[in-house]
Amino acid sequence: MNDEAMRKILVVDDEITVCKSIRNAILSDEHTVDTALSGEEALKKDEEKCYDLIITDLMMPGISGLDLLKTLKQKRPEVNVIMVTGYPTIKTAVQSIKIGAFDYIPKPFTPDQLRSLVSRVFKKIESEEKAAKKPSPQKMPAGLHYMIGHTWLHKENGELVTIGVVQDFLKPVGIITHLTLPQVSDSVNQGEECARITDADLFNHRIWSPATGRIIEVNEKLRGDFTLLRKDPYGEGWLFRMEPTNLEEDLKGLILSD
Amino acid sequence: MPFKKIFKRFLNLPLRAKFILSFLAVICFGGIVTITLGTRLEHQTIIGLAQAKVRHDLASARMVYDEKLNHIRDFIRFNSTRDAIQEATKNQDRVALSRYLGRARTEFNLDILTLTDSRGKVILRAARPENWGDDLSANPLVAKALSGEIIAGTQIIPREELLKEGEGLADRAYLEFIPTPKAVPREEDHEEDGMMLKAAAPIRDGYGTIIGVIYGGILLNQNYEIVDRVKEIVYKGEKYKGREIGTATIFQKDLRISTNVKDASGERAIGTRISREVHQAVLIQGEPWIDRAFVVNDWYITAYEPIHNIGGNIIGILYVGMLEKPYIDLRNRVMLTFAGMAALSVVLLLTILFFITSSIIHPLKSMVFATNQIAQGELNQKVNIDFKDEIGQLAHSFNQMAENLKKANEKLIQWGTTLEKRVEERTKELQEMQDSLIQSEKMASLGKMSAGVAHEINNPLTSILINTHLMLEKTEKTHLFHEYLSLIADETIRCTNIVKGLLEFSRQNPPQKSYADINEIIRQTLQLLEHQAAFHNIRVARKPGESLPQIKVDKDKIKQVFWNLMINAAEAMPKGGTLTIASRLSEDENFVEVIFTDTGVGIPAEYLNKLFDPFFTTKGSGTGLGLAVSYGIIEQHQGKIEVRSEPGRGSVFTVRLPRKD
Repeated sequence: MNDEAMRKILVVDDEITVCKSIRNAILSDEHTVDTALSGEEALKKDEEKCYDLIITDLMMPGISGLDLLKTLKQKRPEVNVIMVTGYPTIKTAVQSIKIGAFDYIPKPFTPDQLRSLVSRVFKKIESEEKAAKKPSPQKMPAGLHYMIGHTWLHKENGELVTIGVVQDFLKPVGIITHLTLPQVSDSVNQGEECARITDADLFNHRIWSPATGRIIEVNEKLRGDFTLLRKDPYGEGWLFRMEPTNLEEDLKGLILSD
Repeated sequence: MPFKKIFKRFLNLPLRAKFILSFLAVICFGGIVTITLGTRLEHQTIIGLAQAKVRHDLASARMVYDEKLNHIRDFIRFNSTRDAIQEATKNQDRVALSRYLGRARTEFNLDILTLTDSRGKVILRAARPENWGDDLSANPLVAKALSGEIIAGTQIIPREELLKEGEGLADRAYLEFIPTPKAVPREEDHEEDGMMLKAAAPIRDGYGTIIGVIYGGILLNQNYEIVDRVKEIVYKGEKYKGREIGTATIFQKDLRISTNVKDASGERAIGTRISREVHQAVLIQGEPWIDRAFVVNDWYITAYEPIHNIGGNIIGILYVGMLEKPYIDLRNRVMLTFAGMAALSVVLLLTILFFITSSIIHPLKSMVFATNQIAQGELNQKVNIDFKDEIGQLAHSFNQMAENLKKANEKLIQWGTTLEKRVEERTKELQEMQDSLIQSEKMASLGKMSAGVAHEINNPLTSILINTHLMLEKTEKTHLFHEYLSLIADETIRCTNIVKGLLEFSRQNPPQKSYADINEIIRQTLQLLEHQAAFHNIRVARKPGESLPQIKVDKDKIKQVFWNLMINAAEAMPKGGTLTIASRLSEDENFVEVIFTDTGVGIPAEYLNKLFDPFFTTKGSGTGLGLAVSYGIIEQHQGKIEVRSEPGRGSVFTVRLPRKD
């Protein structure tokens, strides 16, 4: 691969140490990693290089991560952005997915966790390039609330909701070797990890819950047959059912499919 | 101005003086007016009556006077018709006439009796037979008789005529004036003419021809027949304190010539004269005069009227008078009676007034005394007045007021003591509230600080975590550094957890509340804990309250609180023990209470205050955030979390959640 073909990543954080650390974590021969210390600098650099992936901190002086995301998405809707967030800004992170971020990762994190994300981004780009030739096999049914490229939520009759993974999430994931599911009566919060997929490359892909609530039932079938996830992500491949505690508020962060 | 001063001074007088003075003023004014008006009225009435009587008496006197005159006239006429006298007159028989007339004059007691012929020449004067032959035709009386009239009247007779007509007449008429201060002064100092009642009648022959005139009369001077008769008839000789009540007088012009008014020496007061006023009214103007008058030496109620002669000229006055004294005495008696009655009224009134004012002043004084006593703090006052009037009502009201005052005072004193107690209680409550407020504030500021710290620490932690892991990736697992780096990575993860706890603690998210059964929450929490290692030798005794109301809570957060409290209790009993979990409705039914009682090591008293502070821990492990987070959650539910502990015996945590939010 020559320089031209290499993927380009830009890391944006107002702290140089964090910038460097993130850069170190994902540095590889397969892509280049640049850093920027502010939103302004990031925009300037992106003008020159048109990065494939931009990893940006949410809380920054001047142009915030969210503003940066908005501006980038306006200019280049195809750009992929990963948001790095502190805990108190989880709501903002969920919000950012709605605006168009690929995913987000809470601080602090291990290099592996970030690398999994980055690999998912690149696999997605690849699959998109292939998909340009053949259409997407399965379309999301109407009436689902979802986090773009992540999870969906189906309101059942009564107070319960069913949670599953959207097809786009699985595209960049390699061969699934392990699936970690929550336990019944566990509590999960919106935007926090509720399940994890480990693939053959040993990447751990964390799945964010679309809502806050208590787990009522887990899809035991999945444990024996991971392929259900890919075969029927909106039906047999559901993850779990939960009793949401603050559904109305949670739905504001989600998009309704049509 | 002076009136105002007097009035002011009057107002300052004691009540009784004010009453008495006012009443006296009214009585005096009324009395004076009554007496004055009464006296005047009574005077007018009495004197008016007296005057009416004296006027009537004067008419009676006039009748007596006229009667006398008529007698004379009748006598003269009778004699003029006597045949013997006619015959003797025709014959001019003086001897016979002398015999007849002399006898007649003596019989009738006339002073004069004279006969003339038809030309008016005197034939015979019975009183003076030696004087005859003179011509009397010019005499008005004789002239009228000669013209055929029978005539009678009063006449002034000059001295010469008196001398001519009869013996001693001129002497009777002669009177020297007794000086009279009020009389009109006269040049003369005596009177020598006389005043006579006279009558004349013609004597006719058988053919009716006038052949002569007969006339006669009596001299009024010093003749008391008429006046005494008047006294006799009118006053019947009545006397008042030795004095004659009635008097009568005949005046010749202004001179008393016949009277029964006595002078100081008891003699008839002839020779005195009439006062100027009467002189003017009666003698000159010819009017009757009726008024009180000072006659000789006494006041009389008097009546005067003129005496006319035949020609109609005023020649004298007829007078009657009543002694005024009886009337004055009568008037004085009436007045005295009036005054006496008035005085008696005053005395009576003052007496009544004295008692009335006493009945007012006495209760007032006792009320003033009682009021002063009250003012000095002696509240136990009662005024004993049984009247039903305004004073009685006042006293009753006063007693009631005093009673109320006493009660109010007692209440006040009582209140004062209870107030102190309440102030103490309130102070204690306030202290508690302040303590809890300080705790809340401490929590709030700690929360803010924690959030800041956590956020700031997050970035370096991120760098440490990433770089440690990167180093681990480059290090052989057998290498010594691998172990060191693993330790760093683990401790970094621990830091991450602490930070997460801090953020949890400081999170300002409002609780997501829904109705829940508190016993169910306890059950679910216990289910999760059963498999925890710390619970292995702990006995759990559940005492769920029956029919507790559902309350609105954030189930997850409350579960977190219960979790923390149960874990704490278990950790306080490392050698095993009993955890009792009870639920119930608070006494005032406003709270649902959950009580966690353990039989553990207990908490030293000095730790109790800091127990809920973040990072406070007595355990070697743990973040020290569990109880702080629990405290924050319960506070968000407007609830309370309290702890009591006895070192060595155990602790009791009580969670109170409001029934209504």
